[in-house]
Amino acid sequence: MMKARCLLRAPYSSSPLVSSTLHRFCKPGNKFASQNHTLAFSSSVSSSSVSPISSSPSPLSSHHKPQVPLFLRPPIYSATLSDLTNFFNWGKTLASSVGSSFEQIDNGPDATLLLRELKWFLDDAVEDSSLILHLGTPQNERFLSMEVRLRAGLDQIYQLWKQRIEERRPLQYIVGCEHWRDLVLSVEEGVLIPRPETEKIVDLVEDVVGKCGVLREGLWVDLGTGSGALAVGIARVLGKSGKLIATDLSPVAVAVARYNVERYGLQGSIEVRQGSWFDPLMDLEGELAGMVSNPPYIPSKDISGLQAEVGKHEPGLALDGGVEGMDHLIYLCMRTSTMLKPGGFFAFETNGEKQCNLLAHYLENAAGSNFRDVSIVSDFAGILRFVTGYRK
Amino acid sequence: MVHFLARRSTLRYLILRQTSKLSASMSTSQSGPQTTNIFTSQLRQLRNLSSNDSVLASGNVISHLIFSGNPTNLPKSAKVLPGYNQRSLISCGVRLFSSQAAAATEPSTSDGLTVEGILANNWTILDESENDWKSHASAIAQSIHLIKKRLQWKKLMVRLDLLSAELNKPNLWDDPVHAGKISRKHGSLMGKMKEVMAFEQELCEHIDMLKLAREENDSELESETMKALLRMRRDSKEKELEAMLSGEHDSSSCFIEVQAGAGGTESMDWASMVMQMYKSWAQRRGYRVSVVDEMPGDIAGIKRATIKVDGEYAFGYAKAEVGVHRLVRISPFDSAKRRHTSFAAVAVIPILKDVSSRVQIKESDLRIERFRAGGAGGQHVNTTESAVRIMHIPTGITATCQNERSQHQNKASAMAVLQSRVDQLEMARQAQMNAQHTESLTEISWGNQIRTYVLHPYRMVKDLRTNYEVSDPDAVLDGDLDGFILSFLSASLDKDEDQYAI
Ligand SMILES: C[S@@+](CC[C@H](N)C(=O)[O-])C[C@H]1O[C@@H](n2cnc3c(N)ncnc32)[C@H](O)[C@@H]1O
Repeated sequence: MMKARCLLRAPYSSSPLVSSTLHRFCKPGNKFASQNHTLAFSSSVSSSSVSPISSSPSPLSSHHKPQVPLFLRPPIYSATLSDLTNFFNWGKTLASSVGSSFEQIDNGPDATLLLRELKWFLDDAVEDSSLILHLGTPQNERFLSMEVRLRAGLDQIYQLWKQRIEERRPLQYIVGCEHWRDLVLSVEEGVLIPRPETEKIVDLVEDVVGKCGVLREGLWVDLGTGSGALAVGIARVLGKSGKLIATDLSPVAVAVARYNVERYGLQGSIEVRQGSWFDPLMDLEGELAGMVSNPPYIPSKDISGLQAEVGKHEPGLALDGGVEGMDHLIYLCMRTSTMLKPGGFFAFETNGEKQCNLLAHYLENAAGSNFRDVSIVSDFAGILRFVTGYRK
Repeated sequence: MVHFLARRSTLRYLILRQTSKLSASMSTSQSGPQTTNIFTSQLRQLRNLSSNDSVLASGNVISHLIFSGNPTNLPKSAKVLPGYNQRSLISCGVRLFSSQAAAATEPSTSDGLTVEGILANNWTILDESENDWKSHASAIAQSIHLIKKRLQWKKLMVRLDLLSAELNKPNLWDDPVHAGKISRKHGSLMGKMKEVMAFEQELCEHIDMLKLAREENDSELESETMKALLRMRRDSKEKELEAMLSGEHDSSSCFIEVQAGAGGTESMDWASMVMQMYKSWAQRRGYRVSVVDEMPGDIAGIKRATIKVDGEYAFGYAKAEVGVHRLVRISPFDSAKRRHTSFAAVAVIPILKDVSSRVQIKESDLRIERFRAGGAGGQHVNTTESAVRIMHIPTGITATCQNERSQHQNKASAMAVLQSRVDQLEMARQAQMNAQHTESLTEISWGNQIRTYVLHPYRMVKDLRTNYEVSDPDAVLDGDLDGFILSFLSASLDKDEDQYAI
């Protein structure tokens, strides 16, 4: 882990970027609130083909009923191993035909990665996933007429894989889940698919609460929780006595986060509230032991050039961070000192080095010297990704 | 043995037992002088011991005598035929008095058939379901043979003799600590020896019983005995496997790694065939298999891959596969349809069960990197690729995993591989294991060929170490490897024993 103590720069007022950003800070989220529904359901054309079948979650949100991930659906369909092998071969051919073309267009997946995804797709769709290891190998020829139980109909399986390649619908939306840390989180269109980089925030919190029992006992918040990834991950690190509030503006995110909280049996420690940033936390000013957030941070101008899996399918509300990408980050930082109690810890994810430096600089200087030990932490790709610190 | 026999018609059993003992002693007495020598030497020892004032030592020997000479495990009501009894008592007592005597009076059937003799007969071993006593006996004899090898039988006998000689020294008990040690050691080796001898004895008794049953047309006894033989066959197979896989880490799970040799697509295809062979083999054995790391070839096959094989004795078996595997065939990737020879290297790494024997890896000695990361990352990118590479800076050892679905799990998996590689390096350094089994992929020399698979112009698979050979490469490539593995393992026992043969 690389920790760089941030360098002191000129005061923020002389930094045109920060000041221009600050002028527009007023609750940036609201700006996108109206887009929310259109964005969240824009991909529902493809997602409608996978309808929840049964064992659906209890009605948590009156607005949205979360989808059951493929791997949790009952195996009520079947096909012969021969049929499945045919699908596998067809799917392989389709994936191979991609070659490195997506990679060249927008840094999308290459054929190798898509082939691995095909196996994972089948892992989730086939009841006995040990079969997959041998699909298409000679020894299976003896069993070709064997019936295999499936969690989705074979025609649907074909259709879903076609969406993966032709529409570039992310695998995680197709199977309705994302493996993140040691969790398998339910996701669907309208909710950001949690990124591997973000796993690190849970490690950072684990380090901090390991050193300080008071923080472990205190109240934590995850702002813009999306699927609830950080909230669930952190609650498990905090342990039995953990208390955490997760917020999001998007009703789909709130419903999915609640579903994931319930799936991991954490209703006792996590409360999910809907609203813009601190709005649902007004009662908790100065009470928080810890605060984490991975707010939207992509500069608006970059949105159109995003990889198709992201730009065409993931919600803009979860990605667009305003002109410089820092609208939300700055807004959150401005309120951090009033929300945290003395000694409280914070961790934010950013777009990279530039945002990290600006934010750290802001926190150390402009924010009234309210913070100590402000650090920049890099992700495993070596990109400076997180800003952390404590309220004095 | 006892339970089974106790359930038998005791009278019949006794007749048989005494007969066999008697004939055993008689058969040796045909070579007259030897028997007499042994007998008198035992008597001399007895005298020595009784003149020795050590209660423990003489008590030990006497209890051996009483224990082994008396059919104590039989109900008191059992009738013992007069006449036979006395002689058998003597022969048994003598037999177990010292290892030398034991070797001399190897258990045998009433007509003088010994376990060695059964082996030498080379009776065909049929499937268990075939009710053929010769096949059962032959299988049991083979297992006993292997178990003896594992125990380094010849060496064991020599050591027992040395210990007996030591025990017989009149001044032994001047140093009670040393004497206690010698006597304990003697007792433990004696125990092992007796266990095997009892097993041989049991086999001989079953065979005698069977013959008797046939002579007397007692079909009930015959089928009962046959069942007992079958039970013994299964038992001995289990004991044999235990004996063969008694290396320090044999019972561990392991990683199997395959790397393609030079030769482009053809050898990458071969590497993936080899990997598939191990996946199937492991599944057949009921092990859990997961792919940890896989570097696909550009057109087909793999450059290199690592699988984890989870289950009891995975390492013990798989270690027999370490080395270079050679394929000869007409390459499907050669438009000119020429014959090609390709190579794939196999390494096997144990996953140590005992956490305390693992090398402690310091967090600060690690460099963890996202593998094949490019671009801005974070929210910009949605990829299921979350491979991680971990490097252990002091040793330069690296491990990669990309087959898990989360980065966290990839990291954990890569860390497990790294840990095992570091452990293996440490073991190699301490030379705790047979050097070859500890070789990592990078160390395996391409000259170390262990097996050849020929698909053209003829079809066969041949192990170059054991000369074990089969003519059906498809079955082998489909994971039917146990013949190769077991023959290698038992051959390594031979090697071990040769090392100690005196
Ligand atoms: C980049 S996503 C992060 C999701 C999740 N924490 C994760 O790391 O996977 C940003 C989240 O912030 C939410 N969000 C955007 N504007 C918001 C606002 N004004 N108030 C609360 N949440 C907001 C989005 O709905 C989205 O779920």
